[in-house]
Amino acid sequence: MAESTGSTATPNGSSSTIEVRGLRKRYGAALAVDDLTFTVPPGRVTGFVGPNGAGKSTTLRLILGLDRPDGGTALVGGRPYRSLRRPITHLGAMLDASAVHPSRKASDHLLWMAHAAGLKKARVAEVLEQVGLSSVGRRAVGGYSLGMRQRLGIAAALLGDPPMLIFDEPVNGLDPDGVRWIRILLRSLAAEGRAVLVSSHLMSELEDTADHLVVIGRGRLIADTDVRSLLAAASDDRVVVRTTHRQEAMTSLSRAGATVAAGESGQVTVAGLPAERIAALLTSDGIPFTGLNEHRASLEEAYMDLTRDAVDYRERT
Amino acid sequence: MSEFGWLIRAEWTKLRSVPRWMMALGAAIGLTVLVALLTSAGAGSEATGGSGPDDSPRPPRGFQDGGSFTYKALPADGTLIARVVSQKDTSPWAKAGLMIRASQDRGAAHATVVLTPGHGVRMEADFKDRASTAATPGKPTWLKLTRTGPTVTGYTSQDGTTWRKLSTYRLSGPALLGLFVASPDQTKVIRQFGSESIDSFPAIANAVFDNVTPEPVGWTDSGAPEGPGAEGPDGAEITTFAWSDGKATMNGVNDLGPDLYGDDITRTTLTGILLGLIAVIAVAVLFVTTEYRKGMALTTYTISPRRGRVLAARTLVLGATGFVIGLVASVAALLLSAPLIRADKRRDISLTDPTVLRAVLCTALLVSLVMIFSLALATLFRNTAAAVGTALVGLLLPQIIATGLPLSAARWLTRLTPSAAFEAQQTFRHYDTALSPWPALAVLFLYAALTLALASRTLTTRDA
Repeated sequence: MAESTGSTATPNGSSSTIEVRGLRKRYGAALAVDDLTFTVPPGRVTGFVGPNGAGKSTTLRLILGLDRPDGGTALVGGRPYRSLRRPITHLGAMLDASAVHPSRKASDHLLWMAHAAGLKKARVAEVLEQVGLSSVGRRAVGGYSLGMRQRLGIAAALLGDPPMLIFDEPVNGLDPDGVRWIRILLRSLAAEGRAVLVSSHLMSELEDTADHLVVIGRGRLIADTDVRSLLAAASDDRVVVRTTHRQEAMTSLSRAGATVAAGESGQVTVAGLPAERIAALLTSDGIPFTGLNEHRASLEEAYMDLTRDAVDYRERT
Repeated sequence: MSEFGWLIRAEWTKLRSVPRWMMALGAAIGLTVLVALLTSAGAGSEATGGSGPDDSPRPPRGFQDGGSFTYKALPADGTLIARVVSQKDTSPWAKAGLMIRASQDRGAAHATVVLTPGHGVRMEADFKDRASTAATPGKPTWLKLTRTGPTVTGYTSQDGTTWRKLSTYRLSGPALLGLFVASPDQTKVIRQFGSESIDSFPAIANAVFDNVTPEPVGWTDSGAPEGPGAEGPDGAEITTFAWSDGKATMNGVNDLGPDLYGDDITRTTLTGILLGLIAVIAVAVLFVTTEYRKGMALTTYTISPRRGRVLAARTLVLGATGFVIGLVASVAALLLSAPLIRADKRRDISLTDPTVLRAVLCTALLVSLVMIFSLALATLFRNTAAAVGTALVGLLLPQIIATGLPLSAARWLTRLTPSAAFEAQQTFRHYDTALSPWPALAVLFLYAALTLALASRTLTTRDA
């Protein structure tokens, strides 16, 4: 399914980049988005991640021209979304897959969109095929499962065959099969040269999908980095030494220039020295140790580290 | 196709693709027809102005052609002069004077010059006012009607020598020329919340003429309304014409003129649209509010960021849909209930009658405007209950309250609220008519346009 996207669009560099610059939006007293700047370039999946209430949805609404920013700009292929003629042929979006009239057939739901954008009626059957809903396209959406609705939402985003795509929490509530399907689809869309922005409040959902991450918290940018550097930064080469002679080990290692800290009983956390060097030092000083574990952070841990200060449970309605 | 054309197709697709909405719109038509069948099958009162066999001629809709007429045949040119010595004040619009008419048939071409107790001397032709002048109360008034060639001219005078010309009228061929009296019925209207009862009984017009030239000897007394002699309120027969000592005394019942208490059968047949409108309002409102409730509005405005154009497309789609619904409902209601009306009231309602056609057209426009008004309210409030409530309060509540108010207050309530539009269904002026059809529609049009402008402003300035 995902492999048969059959896109004929060959999105070219600058005209298919989403650019957010100095974006700011205030709802009453709450600053939902605060001086946010990032870029979604073509050809890769950019993860847009942050805790609930961090301002992800607001940012997406601002990009799509649904709300007006109080400051800054959001450009889609170099132009504000609202100024685009037939915007869904530039940027396709899935914001809320449940936003469908339950009495309407899936095909009619896509048909009115196609009409509104001046697209050929044939596109409806094409995208239904692409997301695997051909056989149920003439059924009322009210009878759809969550996964089927999600697919319909994706079909709607793909309708205009746009070079840029936005998916807001696309795997929310999906079964593992569905999650895998979306992952493959997103990767293949990026491989076709499209700019893909995927938001999620769970880093784990993006771990195998995103090439690049934009992390926000309380409306502010926390990190704009590729996945590998984020992992490296979070791991920061810490090594945990297990030893019965904790005091001696700490003295010996700090003399060699490492930063040491006493961990749980019988453990020392060492930073600033590679594991091989630590093993050599302890051996030459005659300090016995039973374990030497290099600490590697998961993306989730890295994310938790980053957003610890930014978790904001205040819900915006 | 233009971008706006795309939007119209999109909004129409949205409307037609929700089966429940299409069913509700169909039900609106069904309800209207059902009410039409029920009202026309029910016992109806006879149309004022008498009832004849099916094929008998009739005065135009909303008028009656009554009174007493004593005449002689007038093959070509001729003149009739008479002085009204006294007239009984049965109504400000009681009539005593002269009449020329093409035939005895009801609704025949005619012209009158009459004295009235409350509205001076008047010349009228074919139920339309031609001219009027003040009369001196208590003083005899001279009247003259003359025909030269096809031209009929009416005159009045204080002294029988200085004549003042009132107006002219064209009537060629053989005609009838004579004396005429008439009076509107005495009517009592009792209005209560939700109902009105009209109680009317004939008033006997009475007038004495002298100086009648030529003398009315051997004239035909047509009486009223079914030939010589008529019944007064007590059931006793009255003498419609007497000639003695150079004085002609005439009595008569019923009026020649507007039938303010008449039965507007077309309007009654179309009242069912009131029920149909409830379904129509609900669909127009839900069409918008469902989008907001389910978050579909975001999709709509993502695809079409120019929200004002979306609103314009919706206005067009719902307006056209409403027009078609109103047209189908009223044509079906009239066609299907026509046989029942013919059997019950011995009166035809024909769609080829321009007045009936206007009522049909106005009903179609009424439904169209109600749909646009509801759409605008829904866009403004983004809330089903608020929008439906406002539409119902504006359209239906004044109608219920008006029946419990004094007439002048009721008229103003109708004129100032969207419910004015229902006045557009009339086929003739009634005693409680507040507005004529086109101004009546204009009131609702203004309400719809104003709400639409407000909705458009909030739509384009507010966040989605």
